[in-house]
Amino acid sequence: MHINRDAIVAIVLLIGCGLFINESFAIKEATFGQMSSALWPRIILAPLTLLSLIFFVKSLFQERSEGEQKGGFVGWLKYYKNPIFVFGFFAIFVATLPFFGMLVGGVLFVFLTLSYFGGWDSRSLFLHGLIACATVGFMWSVFTFALGVILPQGELFYGVIKGI
Amino acid sequence: MIIENILNASAELFTISTVILMMVGVTAGLIAGAIPGFTFAMAVVLVLPFTFSMTPVQGLATMIGVYVGGLSGGLMSGILTGIPGTPSSVATTFDGFPMARKGQPGLALGIGVWSSFFGGVISAIVLVLVAPQLALVGLEFQPWDFFSLVLFALTVTASLAGDQLLKGLISGLLGLLAATIGTDVIFGLPRFTFGQSGLESGFSFLPVLIGLFAFSQLLSDTRDTEAARKPLSADEEAVVKIEHRKAAILVLKRWGNLIRSSIIGIFVGILPAAGSSISNILAYDQAKKASKTPEKFGTGIEDGIIAPESANNATAGGTLIVMMALGIPGDIVTAIMLGALLIHDVVPSPSFIEDQPIIAYSIFIAFFVANFLMLGLQSITLRGFVLITKVRMYMLAAVILFYCAIGVFALGNITFDIWTLFIFGVLGFALKMMGFPIVPMILGVVLGTIAEKNLSQALAITTDLAPFFTRPWSLFFITLGAFSIFYPSYQKQRSEKTWTLAFIPLFLMALAPSIFMMEGVIRPVVAVGFLLGGLYLLAKRKQRGWVLESPSMVPDHPSDRE
Repeated sequence: MHINRDAIVAIVLLIGCGLFINESFAIKEATFGQMSSALWPRIILAPLTLLSLIFFVKSLFQERSEGEQKGGFVGWLKYYKNPIFVFGFFAIFVATLPFFGMLVGGVLFVFLTLSYFGGWDSRSLFLHGLIACATVGFMWSVFTFALGVILPQGELFYGVIKGI
Repeated sequence: MIIENILNASAELFTISTVILMMVGVTAGLIAGAIPGFTFAMAVVLVLPFTFSMTPVQGLATMIGVYVGGLSGGLMSGILTGIPGTPSSVATTFDGFPMARKGQPGLALGIGVWSSFFGGVISAIVLVLVAPQLALVGLEFQPWDFFSLVLFALTVTASLAGDQLLKGLISGLLGLLAATIGTDVIFGLPRFTFGQSGLESGFSFLPVLIGLFAFSQLLSDTRDTEAARKPLSADEEAVVKIEHRKAAILVLKRWGNLIRSSIIGIFVGILPAAGSSISNILAYDQAKKASKTPEKFGTGIEDGIIAPESANNATAGGTLIVMMALGIPGDIVTAIMLGALLIHDVVPSPSFIEDQPIIAYSIFIAFFVANFLMLGLQSITLRGFVLITKVRMYMLAAVILFYCAIGVFALGNITFDIWTLFIFGVLGFALKMMGFPIVPMILGVVLGTIAEKNLSQALAITTDLAPFFTRPWSLFFITLGAFSIFYPSYQKQRSEKTWTLAFIPLFLMALAPSIFMMEGVIRPVVAVGFLLGGLYLLAKRKQRGWVLESPSMVPDHPSDRE
């Protein structure tokens, strides 16, 4: 019996179930109708908690899961380095959207992601810059001019306009 | 009435702009389907943001174009490189690639293309004939029946996760739970907002879907740096000429295999979550069993290409039948189409064909026409496929990730939707890495609201729970759901444990009471047939001394491959 990856997932699920069950008591009751607003979530949470519990018990008795990474937390970080970086780039892109806007932010995001994977030598940087500008510029134009979507322009854009 | 509907729908569909959009859709689908690791479902997801500015007919016609194109696109890489472009064409490679290696790539491609075409056309005919009839059956449904149907859809989806049934069920329940966050659909009361005002309006369905499916898939594709830096396909095949005439004659000569495989495809499509990734292998397996020369399968014979290719295209018709007749999406593609309809305030239900005849008949005609477009565009996209395979995966991933963001924003002009995409992208990726199937969760998100609404309506009529077990359709779906939970064990132990011999007979006998309770004469007669059939099988197997059968070739984890 040992704590493996599945056991940790089961614990996370059980904690999540606990949080949601607790929060379900904060749902306001409607003064009319037959079914309370909290009933359906609780109908879902009951089997989810039970299955998570079964999953936890089952995981304790199973061998190391297939594809489970050895080398502890560092090994895990190493294995999932790429997705973690890309998620990071994407989170920064969304967080800075009010400042950079969709066009500039998008170019920066695509450029950073491309360069992270493709390398940082001058030839690659030039190619990645070109791809980022061309693809983001094309998509931005299609959505702005052809589909009439008002995309976030960003404070930077307004600042530049003001400066001019 | 039908002719009037067809004429009205044709007038809407056969405009220059709609036909061009369909052609673009089919081309995009063919190329997307041909790229290994880039499934047609993802292509349909990515097309979605463009459809919001189109009319419902244009949007759906474009999506159907992508769907049909994507189903056929996988055969290009499967036959030329031996790597199936989509899971729908896994079995195509068994004989397609050897035939190409024997110096007949043009003929192999031709057989694949024409089989896809005929499979699609047969399926389109069945769609037109069956969907309106099934919709009439759907009109018999009451809230209890719809609720049980949703439960069945979720259990069968989870059961398709094979050994990972527990994870599949947890995944489906997580999807249902995610759909409860925000505002209660009945009273409009805030729920599970955890004090965050941004969560009060809940998560929009489409960013959730794109995040769970497309975003997480792209991240999975780039996890390995070396693989991400490589071109999409290492083999640089020269452009081959498709031998249309010879291939069409060969396919028509083997009409028995063609029709059997198409029927398998349609049937599998009707089952919730059982898509073309299953049908192509099932059809191949059946073609092999029915063949006089089964030993030649795998060496590059025509029947080995006809079976999977006609089956996978026919599956599309089956999935559309359920969506249009019952308003329940059976797979990711129809879930996306449902989302596209909802954007235009069109809610699919059993009365959909009657209420929205132009849209419904446009779907019928578009599906039919898309197969012809696929036939014409296959040769052109073959050149595009060769060019696309030179692109590196990370380049495609970076650009598509940005496209996901801009597309999701465009759906509602809300920045929070991009955060939703991100959150569910992370969640989808994490679940995938932990071995949880994603499809049950997606269907859970889609079906959660439908289930809650119907449960609320049912409880508003009576608080008695008995109708769930006494109404024929509800009992029918509950029985199906219960057996679907045991299906993975049955499949795994079919040729090992004796109890599996009783599974199918018991299944038939268990279905009999619910069917017997249904209206009319035919269905009770069918129920008696089921009962007698079950008893006959039990008696026969007992007489044989419970001897185990030889195993069949069915994939273990098909639900996530689509």
